[in-house]
Amino acid sequence: MNVKPSRLLAFAAILGLLVLIPQVVPVVYVNVISRAAVYGILALSMNVLVGYTGQASLGHAAFLGVGAFASGYALSELGMPFGAAMVVAALVGVVAALVLGGVALRVSGLYLALVTIAFGLFAQETLFNIRFLTGGGAGQIAPRPSMFSGDVAYTYLCMGVLFVVLIFDWRLLASRPGRAIQALRDDERVAASWGIDVTGHKLLAFVISGAIAGIGGALFASIEQIVSKEDFGLSLSITFLLMTVVGGAGNRWGVVQGGILFAVLPTILDRTHANFHVFPFTQLTATWEPAIGAVLLLLTLTMFPGGIAQQQAGLLSWLGGGPFKHDKAHAPAQGGGMGARP
Amino acid sequence: METVIEVLVFGLQRGAIFGLVGLGLALVYKATRILNFAQGELGTVPAFVALMVMIGFEAGGDKAADRGLLLPATVLAVVVGAGLGVALYAIVIRPLGKVSPVTSLVATAGVALLLTTVEINVFEARARRFPRPVNGGFRLVGTEVIVDWHTLVILAVLAGVALALAAFFRSAPGVALLATAEDPFAAELQGVPVERMRAMAWGAAGALGALAGVLGAGVFESLTPGFVTSTFMIPAFTGVVLGGITSMPGAVIGGFALGIVSQAAIQIVTTYNLDVPGPPQLAVLVVLLAVLLVRPKGLLGKAA
Repeated sequence: MNVKPSRLLAFAAILGLLVLIPQVVPVVYVNVISRAAVYGILALSMNVLVGYTGQASLGHAAFLGVGAFASGYALSELGMPFGAAMVVAALVGVVAALVLGGVALRVSGLYLALVTIAFGLFAQETLFNIRFLTGGGAGQIAPRPSMFSGDVAYTYLCMGVLFVVLIFDWRLLASRPGRAIQALRDDERVAASWGIDVTGHKLLAFVISGAIAGIGGALFASIEQIVSKEDFGLSLSITFLLMTVVGGAGNRWGVVQGGILFAVLPTILDRTHANFHVFPFTQLTATWEPAIGAVLLLLTLTMFPGGIAQQQAGLLSWLGGGPFKHDKAHAPAQGGGMGARP
Repeated sequence: METVIEVLVFGLQRGAIFGLVGLGLALVYKATRILNFAQGELGTVPAFVALMVMIGFEAGGDKAADRGLLLPATVLAVVVGAGLGVALYAIVIRPLGKVSPVTSLVATAGVALLLTTVEINVFEARARRFPRPVNGGFRLVGTEVIVDWHTLVILAVLAGVALALAAFFRSAPGVALLATAEDPFAAELQGVPVERMRAMAWGAAGALGALAGVLGAGVFESLTPGFVTSTFMIPAFTGVVLGGITSMPGAVIGGFALGIVSQAAIQIVTTYNLDVPGPPQLAVLVVLLAVLLVRPKGLLGKAA
């Protein structure tokens, strides 16, 4: 990669803007930024599954939930430090993914989607109602680490973890298993003929996805510092899938933007509804947010399979060290998007 | 013995609704190889339309439903359901083109979310009373178990639907649909209007969904946005997998099995006073995992 000063400048500008955001946003909205970072992490988690292997999970809210409750339990009942609680949350996500994926992926990707739906419902009705683990209806307390107890400080923590997960995702794809996982998505049979263990690598992708979702859950738990089971319904699971597809499955910058968009959209709708007294805004309250997301999804799937990332293909390519190209044929930056697979 | 009969009676009631939803899922999967996550909302939306007819189209009001209008309202609901099914195929599924089953499942999940959100915004996020065609019940001979008349209504409707489907698959259009499912290219060469057959399958699934929505809302005598998806869809999915995903009789058998298993789970937890929340949801997940472990192609399925 040839690093030109203009690119370095662009990177510095983007980084500077990101660091400034929690400082300039009104205090009441700082937690929204934390939530956006967590959604970004969840989008990356989903992307490992949807973007890199072509599988889908319709129960990722439950993975977020088990991570959040595990972290809350470790923090307040076992008195663990925050970092250790995060590891516990990731491990719980790994175990859940191993059990579900171990059974479903032997058959086909469609069954993984079904099993995750059933898991989501089971988590909501059974798992999150077990009183000694989750505090029943009252919820589980999840205190923040003392270094990051303020809202702004905690936002920086969330953004930092998002950054670490991004780096991990980048290195993962460059690794041998990462390349094997991508080979599966392009053509399972070809991959198998190269000696790649198809089921094993699909399971690996799902397990990595579960671990990242668990980490996201640990961060999510301490935004409001209390976890309650109402936070993890089926519609949140669908939202996680939507933001990944709309962001541009397969492109890590795209899906993170998708996650951020879906995290801040309700707040934006609330603000526009309160401040603009002209037609679309008088009707559009935050309750319409899932519908907007669903319409964006359907538009993405039918017309722009590469999602947000496809629209920014030129910019992303330039930032990555290549020329500023807007080539429709190569638009979805890292091969694929939802529409490209057989 | 008494408890066993009670479990069976309630299990058959829920199971019949699972079967109705499952028939729609299996029909669409058979015809287009798509697992339709929006099947539940193809039931909830028509049920709301039926409710609107019965309360005189005051979406926000609290008027009691006029039970006398239930029959025409149901007919209208079935028509709306069929229309929704065809529209969903024409607007979303066909423009998608040839995509993986996972991608089309994602698209239908988006549709389900869209329909639920519209319901919440139009009909408000609260429970509405929904009437049954026949109230009350009767005591099963020789036992203390009370059977709702509504259970018999559901079973009768399911039997009628099953007969109609059986007759349909022996008729010319039914065979054309089966041919479309088997090999669309070969069917097209034989002069089968493949697109129209697929649209028809989606329409029929919508009509089945509408019946499930109206009768299912009757079971709980209440209706909330997202009702069929949250209450019946996931057991119905599991029932379809248990029955063998493309098998229509399998969908009904699987539905009944899931109904009885869920009811038995509730009964076991109450009888032995176990501290296990959400026994039906636990049972559904266990059954689904067990089917995939032991017999992934299902009871009557041909291939996984």
